[in-house]
Amino acid sequence: MNAGVIERHDAESGNRRILVGLLLAYSVFWVWLAIDPLNRRDWLLENLLVLTLIPLLLLTYRRFEFSLTSYGLIGLFLILHAFGAHYTYAEVPFGFWLRDLGGLSRNPFDRIAHFAYGVLLVYPIRELLMRQTGLRGWWAYALPVCIVLAQSGFFEVLEAIVAMIVSPELGNIYLGTQGDEWDAQHDMAAALAGSILTMCIVFASSMLSKSKANSFPR
Amino acid sequence: MQVDRRTLVSAGLLVWYVAVSVWLAQAPADPQFWLIASILPALFVVVLIATYRHLPMSPASYGLITAFLTLHTIGVHYTYAEVPVGLWMDQVLHLGRNHFDRIVHFSFGFLLAYPMEELFRLSASVQGWVVYYLPVMTVLGLSGLWEIIESWVASAVHPELGVTYLGSQGDIWDAQKDMAAALYGALLCVSILLVVRALRGARSELQTEIAE
Repeated sequence: MNAGVIERHDAESGNRRILVGLLLAYSVFWVWLAIDPLNRRDWLLENLLVLTLIPLLLLTYRRFEFSLTSYGLIGLFLILHAFGAHYTYAEVPFGFWLRDLGGLSRNPFDRIAHFAYGVLLVYPIRELLMRQTGLRGWWAYALPVCIVLAQSGFFEVLEAIVAMIVSPELGNIYLGTQGDEWDAQHDMAAALAGSILTMCIVFASSMLSKSKANSFPR
Repeated sequence: MQVDRRTLVSAGLLVWYVAVSVWLAQAPADPQFWLIASILPALFVVVLIATYRHLPMSPASYGLITAFLTLHTIGVHYTYAEVPVGLWMDQVLHLGRNHFDRIVHFSFGFLLAYPMEELFRLSASVQGWVVYYLPVMTVLGLSGLWEIIESWVASAVHPELGVTYLGSQGDIWDAQKDMAAALYGALLCVSILLVVRALRGARSELQTEIAE
């Protein structure tokens, strides 16, 4: 019995070490991209998200600890977002390279980030819902997708408010519609597709290992 | 066979909805739009009837759903931008546009958040704060999905018209405002629910105190 407790304790402190490592790595990366962004005000606006999300995760860590997988996925998304904030989404070099490669009419980096938002964040949302509410079965697949779509829509609403009220000029940079009248709908559809993709993968893996994958420790 | 109150109310609501639909199906302002916009509600009603036995909802929920579908049926008959009530409101209050579609988006949140709450509470056995959070997010998510579908339909049916098709009435922020309206509606509904339940809880506590 004692050995079990010690083992569990070791695993926990191991997890914690990895998390601290993740956080440090991200901080270094974030500071590096914070030094000379293309547009300081847009950078600040974009980083409101990061500056709320990370403190929130830290403050709630004791009450609710996500799995390492979830923290890793959130970290990946934040790295993408840091790039977008540094260059402003419409002018990320990688996006230009993709545009030229694929003969696209616009820089697709923001669309990729919206898609990544769905792919990467639907899993932590699912974990939160399942462990907090005991959601099971197909609800546990449908509702996370719905929440991703809802947050995506909420984000588009926020963007619109920023663009209309705060500063129409900054709004255009922040918004990055790049002249597409269906931009909001395309962005939401990208997030929706991304979240459905991840849920399919989770579903497939839970089919393969029936007992394990579908259960988070409560 | 015994007919209970719930069955009676549900059947009455269904008869009402079918009657309104049939009546408003005659000479719609834009037959093509009427057809496209009637597919989803029709499917929805079929699903509700099919799930009636093993996923019964309260008469209140069915009533709210019927109220929403009735509003939608009116909007589809006239096309949303031309509904007389909205035109009248525009004239009286000088709003600059026909606000009937915005009202229906708001009603989507306000009227359907409660049925969703009930669904999550009863069939997904959700408890606690999530009971209030999930309906709001579902309303917002479905609103987003609706805007996406609208954009697909618009691109497929009238690509040359772009955003001006499907009742944006020349507003580039139409999609965002519609989603925000639904969000406000859902938030209002959930707030009312919270207040009512808090009051009811306080009253029952008071009664047990008096009884003691």
